[in-house]
Amino acid sequence: MNTSAGARRPGEQWREPDGVHLEVRGLAPPSPFVTIIKLITSLTDATMVVVHHDRDPLPLYDELAQRGWHAERIEGDAGEFRLRLTRAD
Amino acid sequence: MASSNAFLGGAKGRLLPAALVFRYFASALVFQALAWSALFFAAPALPGFAGGLGWPLAALHLVTLGVLVMTAIATSLQLLPVASRQALSPSHWPYDLVWAVFTVGVLALCTGMAMTLPILLLTGAILVTLALLLYLVLLVRNLRGARGMPLVIAHCWAAALSLLLLVGTGLSLASAYSAVSLLDRQSALTLHVTFGAYGFMGMLVMGFSYILVPMLALCDNPAQRWSNLSLTLASAALALALPTALGVLPVHWFALALGAGALAFMIHVALMLQCLRSGMRQGLGKSFVLVRLGWIGLAASFVVALAQACQAPAALPPGLLLVLLIGGLLTLLLGVLSRIVPFLAAMHASTGQRRPPTASSLTVQRALDLHFYSHLAALLLLLLALASDSVWLVRTSALLGLTGALAFGVFFATAWRRMTAPA
Repeated sequence: MNTSAGARRPGEQWREPDGVHLEVRGLAPPSPFVTIIKLITSLTDATMVVVHHDRDPLPLYDELAQRGWHAERIEGDAGEFRLRLTRAD
Repeated sequence: MASSNAFLGGAKGRLLPAALVFRYFASALVFQALAWSALFFAAPALPGFAGGLGWPLAALHLVTLGVLVMTAIATSLQLLPVASRQALSPSHWPYDLVWAVFTVGVLALCTGMAMTLPILLLTGAILVTLALLLYLVLLVRNLRGARGMPLVIAHCWAAALSLLLLVGTGLSLASAYSAVSLLDRQSALTLHVTFGAYGFMGMLVMGFSYILVPMLALCDNPAQRWSNLSLTLASAALALALPTALGVLPVHWFALALGAGALAFMIHVALMLQCLRSGMRQGLGKSFVLVRLGWIGLAASFVVALAQACQAPAALPPGLLLVLLIGGLLTLLLGVLSRIVPFLAAMHASTGQRRPPTASSLTVQRALDLHFYSHLAALLLLLLALASDSVWLVRTSALLGLTGALAFGVFFATAWRRMTAPA
């Protein structure tokens, strides 16, 4: 699957072997934050989420912690801030 | 959260040091307590107050400069770099300098007003002016370097331009007490109130609400067409108010400016209410009751201002406009602060801890509850006092307001203590 910046629309979701991917680059704040929280709230299983962001989403971490999720930065494209979100339990 | 902490550390390049931001907020809370205390001493002079030196003017500026502007400075200097992906300069002395000069300036200005000492007042006004001009440089640097968020940035530019008028007219009014008049007093006063409350504070509040309210309520961004319309109307209102207050346009154009401003604000509030209704987080508690009441106060201020501009026959208590306007802004701001202080503290507290505390664990709800009831009762009594010319109602209001301010201080100090506690 192509995960490069130009290939996806802002807000688009798609599945890959490592989980659900979410493209939030190009969304105006706080839409990335809201879109990510909406996605993890809709997941009922232990699916991992990979977020393609253009910045370090500072306000997100407290919200994730309160919902029992945690975040880890993983390698991404140049200029990308890619996060893997995992349910803590 | 050990792994996320690792990169949170890198992200802190966009966070000002906790001690710096919290020092601004702590100062604002001290000024809030001082403002309510000054109101207690202002009680005999408050009914019928129509300007001039004394305790009422000091109480007013302790709130407007000490609480509202102090908080606006800290919020804008912190929120803009975080939201617009800008690294902060590692050198923090300009932020320290703004805080120090502004704090000393406000204290001197308000003491000069309370004690009727024009020279001290003018000294304070000059210090406040210098601090605000330095803040303006920092704000403009942030705005010029911002990426994205055109709606928020446009609001902030309007606020920055309004700040110039606020500072200029403030200096003119202060120097008039030392017999140096730079601008006609009535024009300066109209511009000072309009561009201070609606221009600087109003535009910042509306702009930052487009980030903070959707983030706290977990809702989609408001419809861009309507938010742009609100911005256009608000900017047009300010652009119209300037030549009208200077006497370039006939005075009745000021009513048109107020009408446009009121419409802009109504559209903004409708967008925010729609966001709150559709948001995933419905239980925003008393903090957003304060925000809603703040909106009501501001909306009512437009009605009163319009009535005054149209020279409505019904006699409105002097000071009613200021209580609605400043009380509305203060109530809204305290509602938002009760949410963002623990949020900001949680971000700072994550350093070096295996599991950072959540925002809710840094909140003292009982203190916030006490503040909520005391603050609202104080404002309600103040409105009643204005309507009935009652000195003892003003004093009761001041004591209740002081109680609320101290309770908010307990909430704030606890968030700080828990944030800095070892893991």
